[in-house]
Order: sequence, then C-alpha cells, then structure tokens
Amino acid sequence: MRELWKNRRGRTILGIFVTAVLLAMICLAGWMWSDEALLTDLSQKNLAPCWAHPFGTDFMGRDMFIRTVTGLSMSIRLGVLTAFASAVLAALLGIGAAVLGKTADSVITWAIDLIMGIPHILLLILISYAFGKGFLGVAVGITLTHWTSLARILRGEVLQLSESRYVKMARKLGHGAGYISRVHMIPHILPQFFTGLILMFPHAVMHEASITFLGFGLSPEQPAIGIILSESMKYLSMGYWWLSLLPGAFLVAVVLLFHWLGHSVSALLDPDSAHV
Amino acid sequence: MKKRALCGLLVLIMIVATACGGGSGAEEAGDANRTKDQVIVAMGPGSEPEAGFDPAYGWGAGEHVHEPLIQSTLTVTKTDLTIGYDLATAMTCSDDGLTWTVTIRDDVVFSDGQPLTAADVAFTYNTLKTSSSVNDFTMMREAVATGEYTVEFQMEHPYSIWPYTMAITGIIPEHAYGPDYGQNPIGSGRYKMVQWDKGQQVIFEANELYYGDEPELKKVTVVFMDEDAAFAAVKAGQVDIAYTASSYSGQTVDGYSLAAYESVDNRGFNLPAVKESMLPDGTIIGNDFTSDVTVRQAINMAVDRNVLIDHVLEGYGSPAYSVCDGMPWYSEENEVSRDPAKAAELLDQAGWNVGADGIRSKNGVRAELEILYISGDSVRQALAAEVGNQLKLLGIETSIRGTSWDTAYDEAQRQPLIWGWGAHTPMELYNIYHSVDVYGLAKYSPYANSQMDDLMDQALAVSDLEASYELWKEAQNHDDVPWIWLVNADHLYWVRNGLNVAEQKLHPHGHGWSLVNNVDQWTWN
Repeated sequence: MRELWKNRRGRTILGIFVTAVLLAMICLAGWMWSDEALLTDLSQKNLAPCWAHPFGTDFMGRDMFIRTVTGLSMSIRLGVLTAFASAVLAALLGIGAAVLGKTADSVITWAIDLIMGIPHILLLILISYAFGKGFLGVAVGITLTHWTSLARILRGEVLQLSESRYVKMARKLGHGAGYISRVHMIPHILPQFFTGLILMFPHAVMHEASITFLGFGLSPEQPAIGIILSESMKYLSMGYWWLSLLPGAFLVAVVLLFHWLGHSVSALLDPDSAHV
Repeated sequence: MKKRALCGLLVLIMIVATACGGGSGAEEAGDANRTKDQVIVAMGPGSEPEAGFDPAYGWGAGEHVHEPLIQSTLTVTKTDLTIGYDLATAMTCSDDGLTWTVTIRDDVVFSDGQPLTAADVAFTYNTLKTSSSVNDFTMMREAVATGEYTVEFQMEHPYSIWPYTMAITGIIPEHAYGPDYGQNPIGSGRYKMVQWDKGQQVIFEANELYYGDEPELKKVTVVFMDEDAAFAAVKAGQVDIAYTASSYSGQTVDGYSLAAYESVDNRGFNLPAVKESMLPDGTIIGNDFTSDVTVRQAINMAVDRNVLIDHVLEGYGSPAYSVCDGMPWYSEENEVSRDPAKAAELLDQAGWNVGADGIRSKNGVRAELEILYISGDSVRQALAAEVGNQLKLLGIETSIRGTSWDTAYDEAQRQPLIWGWGAHTPMELYNIYHSVDVYGLAKYSPYANSQMDDLMDQALAVSDLEASYELWKEAQNHDDVPWIWLVNADHLYWVRNGLNVAEQKLHPHGHGWSLVNNVDQWTWN
C-alpha cells in the first residue's frame, strides 16, 4: 500500500479503485433498495433531515436518502449502459468511415455533422418520445446522441495511422488488413476509446437527469434523479430545501467522480498527456 | 479538479438559497392605494379560456362549469343546486316532455344598449347546437322565438334536466355575434369585459345597464398564475384572493387567512366490472379481479377515506360516496361505513384466499391492482399511493403508475385510474354509469346495469324536474360499486382579511371560475 502511495501513478490507481468501488456501491445499494424507494407513508411526510431519514422525506413520506441513492443508481447504470453502447457505435462508425472508402466516409461524417448540429436535448426528447418514453426511450435516446464526437476522433486517428510509415511498410511487406488493424491500429486506438467511453459517463448521467427532469422519461413515482429534482421545485417556496439540495449535490458529486475517473484513466493510458 | 468540485457545490447552494429566499419577505403592500370597490383574484393558468369568452367554445360550460358572468343565463343554480331564474320569468314543460316554453324578462338590454329578446335566446341555442365544441345539445331539435319575450325549445327526446343546461348557457346577442366574439364579448350579465391581456389578466367592470342589483365591487381583475407564483403574490400583498393547494395549508401569511370552500370536486377510481375480454375491434377491456362484485364491495368497505383526507388533503376535504355528494339528486344509500374486517371476511367467503405470500388469489387469478394516476398531479399520486397501501392490508398486491390523458382513457378500460369529477348537473351520473357504446357498456369504465339504465332514462323522460331527482336517487341504489369514490377536495384560497365572498355554492370540479360565480355579492368590511 505504501509503495502505491509513493508516486503519482500509484495514487491515481488507488484513486481509481476507490472511486470505482464507491460508484459500484451506490449502484448496488440502489438496486437492492428499488422496492423501498417506492414505499410511501403519508404520516411521515415532509420531514426535515433527521437520524431516521438523513435526507428528509417528501410529500408522500418517502425516504429521500433511499430515493436519491436509487435514483443515482439508475442514472449510473443507465449512464454506463448508454455510454458503452454509444462508444461501440462510435468505434464502428468512426473506423468504418476511415477504412470503408470515400462514400462511406462522406455519409458517416455527414451523419455526425447532422447530429452535432441539432441541440442535444432536443434530439434526445425527439428520440425518446419516438421510442415510447420510459426506460427504453431514454436509453436509446442517449445512445443515439452521444457517439458523434468520439466517432470523429477515432476516424481521424485511423486516417492518420493508415498514412503512417510503419503501416505503409507493413502493407508493402504483404500483411493483410486484419493483421495490420490487430497489431498496428487497435493498440493505438484503445486508449482513445476507453477515455472517450469513460468521459461519456458524466454526459450520459446528466442527460438522463435532464430528460427525466423534463418529464419525458419515466413515470413520476420512479426514483430517477431528474424526477426527484423536478418534484422538489414545487416545494421550494414552502421551504423544503432538503428535497432539492441534497439530491442535487449528490448528482453533482457523482458526475464529478466520473469526470475525475475519466481523466485519471486517460492519464494512465496516455502518460504523455499527464504532464500537460 | 478540487476547485471544480467546489464550484459545482457552491453554484448549487446559491441556486437553492435564492429560491428559498423568496419566502421571507411577507409584507402588507398596496394597502394604501387599494379601494373598496375592486378586487384582484388569482386563478391557475388553466382557467384562462383559450377560445375566449364565447359560450359556444367552452366559456361557462364544458368540463368546468360556472356562471358566465358576462352573459345572462335563462336559469341559475341556487346555493342548494336547485333551479332558480335569471332571465326567465316562467318555465313550463309539456306533458310529453318534448316542448319547453320559457318566458323572459322584458327589461333586459345588452351592454351595447340593444334590447335582449327571445330572438337572441333562440339564436344562442341554435348557434350552440351547430357549433358548440363542449356542450351536448343533441337532445334539442330547435329553439323558436314564439313571441317577443317567449321562446320555445322543441326537443328530440324528453330531457327533464334541461334547466341545468340553461343555467350554464350564456345568451349571446344576435346582432353582435361573430368569429371574434370570444375576444370582445357583449352580454347582458353583471359584468362586462374591458381588457384581456392574454396569458396575464382579464379585467371586468360592472355593467351599468344590468337589470339586477348593482354589484358592490365595480372592478374585478382576474390574474392567471401558477400555484407558487400565486402564493408569492399573496405574500407580497398583490392579490386579494388567490387559489392554493392543500400542500400550502401549513403556511401562514400576515393579513390573509386560508379559506376552504366545500366542493363536489371529487376524486375516485374506477373498477372495471367485466372479465378481461377482447372487443371485436381488438381492444382488450375488463379485469378478472375487479369483475367480481364482492371484490369491489370489499374495496369500498376497506378504504379509509378519513385517512386520505387527513394525510393527502391536510384535512381539507370530505369523504365522497358518490359522484354527486350533496346535490339534490344524491342518494344517501351510497354511504358505506368502513369495516376492513368485514371486507376481509367477504373476500374469504368469496374464495379469495390468502396465499403464502400474503396475497389473495382465486382459481389462479391473483388479487393485484396497478392504480394509475395522471402524471404531474401530486394529489392524485398521493391518493393512489395511500389507497394502494390500504389495500395491501386487505391482501391485495398494489402498485401505482403515472400516465397521461393520451393513453389513460384506454388504460382505464382494464385497470383503475384516479379520476376527478363533480358537476352541477345530474347528467354526470348518466355519463359515468349509463351504458353507451355499441357493446352496451359505460364509457369510462366497462360496466352495465340495465335497471340503473332504465331508471336514469325514466329520470330524463319525466316532465317534472323535482320528480326526476327521486328517480336519479333510486338509480343509485344498488351494490354494484363500479366506482370507488374517495374524497371531495375542498377548494382552498388565500383571502385578504376584510374580504367577504358571500355564500359559495358547492364548487364543482375545476378550481377556477366557480369562485367568482357570486362576485357581485362580495363586499369589503
């Protein structure tokens, strides 16, 4: 342990480990509490934070700590799922654009420009509405809107690699496309891919929160973080500050944790950038 | 990175602090320049009539009935919801129920000085029959002015409660009616509209040509704002009376008191009374669990309405046993005394036995209910949740789900939905309980009872309104329980001290214009 602590690399690895465990715990706790988060007890409503209810209770007497953790857990799971799907989509399209020839390239870059040209949240609402709202709608919506920038980076990366000397040389030496991509390309792209993937989490989580906040996501009794925050708006003028402050602070904390995680991973995988 | 985390937290705290901070500045402002002959009323944004103040497009009528204020009506509903006269001086119905003859006052003029005659009345009804988007005028064939001040309604079929339709139909002037009437209404009512800033406010001034008593309040301003904005306006002393919700009832504001007006604005849920089946057009209706009448009776008995009132409505409500509590056509037979033990016994006897998991079932049908509510309506959500909790104790597995009106009507054909009803006409009973569609089932939740249908048909067919009340009552006397009525929600208002709003009629569904039905009788102390 002490060895790990001595240098920055060790500290970063330790930090990544702790952060990942923390996020996994929130995720697991929320998953286990999914029934408790729906329990109502109207005789215990609108309580300020206390020992029994550290985050207070809402207008239906639901425990806000359990609701917040469950909501974050869902955000994290949804975030991981959609970021992963989105990153895979980005890899396929990005590499496809680079290697499948001119027509494919122009179609894919056109699609990237098109999607990036429409405001994120607008497209998200449209897609999730078209897929019948709910969990599926949100998941598909976030997946289909978040792949573009990563796809563009990967495309550029692959284009650059295929022009590099050692790839050209490998080709001259008679190596096939499969060998070249396995030995020369993928190791180069992987760090970009993973960093892009992890840096996509905070975006996905935030967008999940915003779309449920706007009411296009899940049914209002579900404990999504956006639903919790939009409900709390109604009670601000009555002075029930805990309904928005604590869940909001936790959302920010989780997003920041993911952000930090992404940067740490990228610093490890791409040591050059660590000193910039 | 640390800096960023800190920044994020600070921003959040600041946002919350500003939002909370609005609450502290309660002050009594505007007292000095307020005069005793005007009033400012705050209503919800949904109360603003989209199509203007045209009776043909929902002003006064439709889902949220109220007196049209700008226009006169032939009849009015009195505080006990029986019928009185406004323009009418006499009203008779022929023995076959097919002709209504109404004589009207001869001293009435519109606010532009033109006299109001039977021709205007006939014009109003004939226009509404062809163009009304909200009211049902199919029972009327034609309105004919038979004299200068006598009008005759020829009916397609007998309709004993016609006076209740007349009570919400504002009379429009034949000489000044056109497509933009809703924006510039001319009527013979107590007030005239002088200014309408869409999305903000409507200003009414007393109509000096009005034939009745002169109102004390010469100017009535209605502002439209959201619940929290209305509360903020009360705190700032900018409005004299403002609608509010029970969730605000714990607050206090200096210079104002909280007034609760009783209503027939009920909340309840439907229980599909037929087994799950597919209609020829492919839609699936019915529910195997709630199709058992014993189940419905047991649920009706097990629900604790007082707990709902105390916890969801903060005590501002009354138990509901029908869609028309307190109306002249309400039957007290609807009342049920709470008895969860007997409810459980009934279910046991009917073969709904408790299984190992604590949930009842019978012949493979599990006792489970998903109670729907309209997303965004926190009162209905809380009612659904609490009813669910109460029914769990009876061995019924419950869950709740938010939905929207896009799909709610279809979903309610298969499962319970929390509804809100309550109108100043017995027609609502008919609309909810009478079978209508081609399959012989009621419209909003599958149910049919031919005896009830017959009694309601008879009630419409008699020529005497008083006699019809008894038939409406008799129609309700059965134990089918296709609907569980939960509560009548009081309508809550912040009222500035010194404002006297006179005797309010039982408010119908819709927390809006009903309040100012009698604004001409309001006074300041």
